[in-house]
Amino acid sequence: MSAPSPVERLVARVLLWGGLLSVSLILAGLVFYAIAGHPNAREIVRVVHNRDVGRSVDVFASLGDVRRALAQRPPDPLAITALGLVCLLATPAVGVAAALVAFWRAGDRLYAGISAGVLGMLVLGFALAAGG
Amino acid sequence: MSPLEFVAALFATSLAAGGAGAVLGLGGGILLIPILTLFYGVDLHYAMGASIVSVIATSSGAAAAYLRTSLSNIRIGLFLALATVAGALVGAALAGVVPTRALQLLLGLALAYSTVATLRQLRLELPEVGEADPLAMRFGLEGSYYDAALDRDVKYRATRVRLGFAAMFGAGLLSGLLGIGSGAFKVLAMDHFMRLPMKVSTATSNFMIGITSAASAGVYFSRGDIHPLLAAPVAVGVLVGAAGGTRLMSRLRNTTVRKIFLPVLGWLAVSMILRGLGIGLP
Repeated sequence: MSAPSPVERLVARVLLWGGLLSVSLILAGLVFYAIAGHPNAREIVRVVHNRDVGRSVDVFASLGDVRRALAQRPPDPLAITALGLVCLLATPAVGVAAALVAFWRAGDRLYAGISAGVLGMLVLGFALAAGG
Repeated sequence: MSPLEFVAALFATSLAAGGAGAVLGLGGGILLIPILTLFYGVDLHYAMGASIVSVIATSSGAAAAYLRTSLSNIRIGLFLALATVAGALVGAALAGVVPTRALQLLLGLALAYSTVATLRQLRLELPEVGEADPLAMRFGLEGSYYDAALDRDVKYRATRVRLGFAAMFGAGLLSGLLGIGSGAFKVLAMDHFMRLPMKVSTATSNFMIGITSAASAGVYFSRGDIHPLLAAPVAVGVLVGAAGGTRLMSRLRNTTVRKIFLPVLGWLAVSMILRGLGIGLP
């Protein structure tokens, strides 16, 4: 039977734990939201159905938005969910970074370079998105 | 529908989308966006934001399992990701410049041809290991996996690497231009052009779609298109569904995966042609 290489094992572990961390934060946020009596739930669902009726206060469009909502006392439960979603969106890039490190450690310079190329383009994509 | 019912229904739908996506190498966007907009009445922008979350959740959930069983080939995935991510960045830069409808029509026709080609090789369990492609040798684009359905190790090697790389650039270009995950095109490129086993194609596509979508995820997030109350049940449902899909996939034959893939391909061809002709679909 084919055994996974150390690189495959490491990247698989990063993707698995990235997914689990994300789900834990997402669920924790939803549970706190339910405990808090799911404030504005009907209003939020109305906005989900029609974005033009006005932007929901619970949409986070930057890491700053998430950080500010988490810093509130008590913290906005949906900000915890949004943090989980950010972790999820970042997981593939972290997986590629892990592949870069693992290939480099294994002495596979060719694939360390390819991983670096993919990661570089992802970072460029994030930078372009941040720049508007 | 009450907010709680809405979240529960979304979770159940996403569970199914994640399972299907894990087997077929798709992020589920082509299924999820029409369902969210048509059946749940969700705003298209939020549906597309949820779709990006769904693609990355499917990829993380499925690829973690497929890498451990060597069904996803990390070298092939990263090598081809160079083309798809570059294509996605170029596509995003060209969005609004290229005539999208003409492109969709051309693409739909190409997919219709691919549907017929897939139909012809419906009973092909495994492709023959082709002549050594110098690029495949140079970049180590080969591998083996234990096929539980066949109860043996299967060895494979990529062929026509240039063609596959070019097709992957095209798949990335479409992702950037049209805002789709383009998992189906990745599977086609690996199955048709590079002649990889169908299960390796869908599993490696699962690894790749997360990387390609990550390139554009920041854009959706900064536009405020990722709504937590909508994206949360989608993410959790898809992750759990994808984990179930990977268990199912290990027991399926390559021919079965291809048979399930065929109607999805046909639907994609029809929807692209209709969009190209200006007949509105979500």
